[in-house]
Amino acid sequence: MSGKVRGRGMAASWYGIARTATIDRAGAWAELDDGGTAKVVTGVTEIGEGILTVLAQIAAEELGIKPEQVTIGDNDTARSPEAAHAGATRQTYMIGNAVALACREARARLVAELADFWDVAEDSIEAFDGEIWAAGSNLKMTMEEAVDLCKKRGVVPLGSGSFSTDCTGLDPVDGSGSPWQAYVYGCQVAEVEVDTVTGEVQVLGMWAAHDVGRAINPRGVEGQIEGAIVQGLGQALMEDYKIENGHTTTHGFAKYILPTALDVPQINSIIVEDPDPLSPLGAKGIGEPALIPTAPAIVNAIYDAIGVRITSLPATPEKILAGLAAKHQGDNISREAAE
Amino acid sequence: MLTCETYLTPATLGQALAQWAAAPPGSRLIAGATDTLPWARQGRAGDVYVPALVDVSKVAELQDYEISGGRVRLGANLVMQRFLSDETLRAHLPCMPHCAIWFADDQIREQATLIGNIVNASPAADGTPPVLAMNGTIELARLVGGAVTRRSLAVSDFVTGPGTTLLADDEIVTAVECDCLAGYGGAFEKVGQRRSLVISTVCTACLVKPSADRTSFEDVRLAIGGTGPVPLRLNHIEEFLKNRPVTRDILRQASQMTDGLINSRTRRAYRGDVLSGFIERALEDALADCGVHIPSDSVREAANA
Amino acid sequence: MPDLKMDMTVNGRRVTKPAGPHMRLLDYLRDELGLTGSKEGCGAGECGSCSVFVDGKLMKSCLMPVAKADGAVIETIESLAQNGNLNPLQRAFYKTGASQCGYCIPGMVMAASAALRENPLADAEEIKERLGGNICRCTGYSKIFEAVEIARDVINGTLPATALDAPGAGQSYIGNNVRRLDAPGKVTGALRYAGDMVMPGMLHMQVLRSPHPHALIKSIDTSAAEAMPGVACVITAADVPGVDGFGVFVHDQPVMAKDRVRYVGEAVAAVAAEDLLTARAARDAIKIVYEPLPAVFDPEAAMGDGAPVLHDYAPDNIVKHIPIRKGDVEKGFAEADLIVEQTYSTQPVEHAYLEPEAGLAYVDHDGVVTVVSPSQNITHHRHMLAKIIDKPIHKVRFIMSPVGGGFGGKEDMIFQGMLALAAMKTGRPVRLVFSREESIVSTAKRHPARITCKMGLKNDGRITAVDFRMISDGGAYGMSTEGVMRKAAILSCGPYAVENVKIDTYGIYTNNTPSGAFRTFGAMQAQFATESHLDICAEKLGLDSFEIRRINMMRDGATTHTRQKLGSVSLGRVMEAAEQASGWQAGPPVSRGLARNDLGGPGNRRPCTLGARLRPGSEQLREEVA
Repeated sequence: MSGKVRGRGMAASWYGIARTATIDRAGAWAELDDGGTAKVVTGVTEIGEGILTVLAQIAAEELGIKPEQVTIGDNDTARSPEAAHAGATRQTYMIGNAVALACREARARLVAELADFWDVAEDSIEAFDGEIWAAGSNLKMTMEEAVDLCKKRGVVPLGSGSFSTDCTGLDPVDGSGSPWQAYVYGCQVAEVEVDTVTGEVQVLGMWAAHDVGRAINPRGVEGQIEGAIVQGLGQALMEDYKIENGHTTTHGFAKYILPTALDVPQINSIIVEDPDPLSPLGAKGIGEPALIPTAPAIVNAIYDAIGVRITSLPATPEKILAGLAAKHQGDNISREAAE
Repeated sequence: MLTCETYLTPATLGQALAQWAAAPPGSRLIAGATDTLPWARQGRAGDVYVPALVDVSKVAELQDYEISGGRVRLGANLVMQRFLSDETLRAHLPCMPHCAIWFADDQIREQATLIGNIVNASPAADGTPPVLAMNGTIELARLVGGAVTRRSLAVSDFVTGPGTTLLADDEIVTAVECDCLAGYGGAFEKVGQRRSLVISTVCTACLVKPSADRTSFEDVRLAIGGTGPVPLRLNHIEEFLKNRPVTRDILRQASQMTDGLINSRTRRAYRGDVLSGFIERALEDALADCGVHIPSDSVREAANA
Repeated sequence: MPDLKMDMTVNGRRVTKPAGPHMRLLDYLRDELGLTGSKEGCGAGECGSCSVFVDGKLMKSCLMPVAKADGAVIETIESLAQNGNLNPLQRAFYKTGASQCGYCIPGMVMAASAALRENPLADAEEIKERLGGNICRCTGYSKIFEAVEIARDVINGTLPATALDAPGAGQSYIGNNVRRLDAPGKVTGALRYAGDMVMPGMLHMQVLRSPHPHALIKSIDTSAAEAMPGVACVITAADVPGVDGFGVFVHDQPVMAKDRVRYVGEAVAAVAAEDLLTARAARDAIKIVYEPLPAVFDPEAAMGDGAPVLHDYAPDNIVKHIPIRKGDVEKGFAEADLIVEQTYSTQPVEHAYLEPEAGLAYVDHDGVVTVVSPSQNITHHRHMLAKIIDKPIHKVRFIMSPVGGGFGGKEDMIFQGMLALAAMKTGRPVRLVFSREESIVSTAKRHPARITCKMGLKNDGRITAVDFRMISDGGAYGMSTEGVMRKAAILSCGPYAVENVKIDTYGIYTNNTPSGAFRTFGAMQAQFATESHLDICAEKLGLDSFEIRRINMMRDGATTHTRQKLGSVSLGRVMEAAEQASGWQAGPPVSRGLARNDLGGPGNRRPCTLGARLRPGSEQLREEVA
């Protein structure tokens, strides 16, 4: 008797990048440093999403060095420029772009010295992965040598950058306005198996396609999609902060149920890139957008499997069995009416 | 948070009983401590001060297990993981590996004891139904005139209500004993809202022995938990099934014999809905565990569509 | 309480430091031996972040009274790397991106180590089962599984050791899977979070919290607490020198309750003492007399006449109402061939980051009041704290400590004010570490929502009008409610070109746990309703789920519901990508699960139940290895 039935559902979504209906801002400092390394200081708030690594990659690319040679300073109101908060899926966009601008300025200082030294046009100078050279010539040196040269000429190759968004507030009556300058879109498909004996639902597969503008670190993007999907699954099926007369009954993780390793679907991520035209890097974001389609895709899949429409989250085994019972009663009534 | 004044680790049963008898009121006995520490937290017992903790996990007489006369005697300190890692226990107690894997994760199984689970007597205890199904008896020891004295009770008598047992104030559980059921197929089902770390809503333990020609039930053991104040042995279903043919229809009939079984304080409708299906599934899985397969039920799947 | 004599081996060294009888092995390792790699994520054996080997078996050290470990051989996360070199499992975690916030990672690496020690050939199913006792909130586990499988294969020689090497530079570092910079510190347990940090002379804080959802504070008597030996200070709202209010949008929340409490768990007083036990005892000795007030727990009731008013500035208990109006919905419904109305609801959700809140504060040699905490917005926190403690902004400093998961829950300045005040009052560093229960009870939740969606459509699937109304319980304080209502409203009707919309979102004060910022800031609740609704409508119109969305989707240059003209809109591309990748079989969502032929394909995992290691054949693998 398996009593287990499968189904599929989908959902689409959209989200705005960076702070809503206000002018967002972020600043950064960058310095090309001894050894051809770099220091980047900005008010970055790494909360696990991988922004430090993304910034190191951006800095490495802009400066022509390796990411592991980039040191990112601590976020400290007394030591780092303001880059505001971790939220609104804003850091890659706001801080990534600010860091890119700061690095460009630092690099420009270095390049000006090197161009003069080599007597070449500044825009002929290229750098990547620790080497710097003048295109169309055999002039080249390591970044370590270039920094050393720059400093010996009395110039510290540093720069700063500030990036902002052009948004407006919302009209208080009709809500009109331009709350974000960049939007992202997503779509997820869920395949579930419903156990009609117990009402338990397993999510077996998720296909998640998300526009991130430009993926600085594709594996990092996947990690965000996977984490978001599992949070979405948790809210769809099992998590519930219960409160009665102001007192919670879910004090700990025994009662507040979180997804475990055994609850995770196979997650198939598809990264789509529609670069943002208004920013130096074209990247947008993924942290929050990936969470939106998951619960409705799962609930739509449950409907596909067993014809029970769950309109209140979480879709607990009780609600599923109650829905099945109601449906059978309804079916019986219709059948009797038809006879 | 649990704070205590003294922590005692007796080495022998005699010492343990003496220390336990001498421990001030409010003291607690622990083996694995996996129930006690979570209990002493906000939202449950809150901060608890305990004058003495008597830790019996090193008591020599409570270790290990012994098989004789068709019964296995499980020492009180046996941790749940042994039911998975020990080949002999797996062979003799065919539903216990399944119970263990659902009981908790690897880390907790290395610390938690079966006896601790039984004595805690939660209505949702996972360990008690299998023990009931295997005619479990529990052995208790106390000091009488300075000598260690033991008595045995059926586990079905020992657990009397949610959190209550017949364990006397001066007694320590030394062992639980159950039938050796090598050759039976075993199953354990548990429903919760996720695959791991699940607190039981309903659980079912089942063992079956098919006849030699594998077409009928020679013996069936069935017990449920999470459906009322205490776990229950389903003798009436066992009796019904004995010598009946192993068919889908018989399984279906047996699983419908659930009137009056749900006596939980909460979620009665859900537990009732699940129970019949679980009984059928447990029987089916136990049969599969000893190699007897019943064709799946296309009629029921269509009905559920 | 006399100390216990201990004699054990920890990471290869003999340790005989005495222990307090109240300690768990976890406390002993962290506080007595400074081995802070093992974490307390929950203290109740649920999350696994405390896992250590005891005599070769992995156990949860938060469940072990320390005396049990006497005579045992303990291995913690710190024992895995040799001479600073990551072991293959750690390198695999580094390689696959298995570590995000890192807080669960030491425990997860230990669980993975145990899995491979027990069964060096464990397959994916068994690996998952053996990690079943460890919770991760950030990664979705997928890259953790990948790491364990790669490590298994490298250790067994099925994959070369180079499989763990960094990816090459390629042509560009943009689009490169560079390994995370912060992973090595996390997979070794070396990275210290605020709760792992210690400073000389540090005091320990504990907070007294309201047991009532709504009550006047008639009196606070701290004398017994102040008199306790070892207590350095007790603080209440009376200790706030400046303007006492914080919040992301409206500064309606005092650092500690002033005159009244508005939710169960609200901070009322705090103690800083020499050790944790003294701080707890002193906290429990503070006497507060409350006069309960009528409370309101339902947002719709709170909006009604006669409901208790939580904040004087909002007599109707509305934190924020965001209206959006475009076109004429009445006309749109009149034109519709089909009108569908449905109510949806979503629940309050707990962030459940593995790192409970923690922080330290001190006043430095220049008189700068410094707070070290995993705050998601130190810029804003500094602004607010400067006004609260009445100091010039450059005399207030916020340093971000590594964050063990945020998701919006660490955006509120819910404890940093108390730490600053105690540091100022005592002149000493003060540390506060929340218990898991304290974190769950007292900090913000995702806004629950009750949504009514009414949609009018033509028979060809085009939406003619949407009326969307969302009421959200904002709880006792404003936190991010205004912003959540705004974002929910703007995104509510989805990326669909609809001429006529009427959208209203309301965030309401009640005496429940406050609702605050949580990943998507209102968008997922709203779009849950809309995306469910589209399927209901699609079924009635006989349209496939993708089809109805394509018919209505915004395209390049579309105008949004707030009348913004968009540039490029990639919705069509992402829908096509998901449809193709999943092999979706088109058809209306009439509950056709049984009739579909696109189920069970690659891209799914097998349905699982516990028992992977009990499968016939899994023993065989083990025997072959032996």
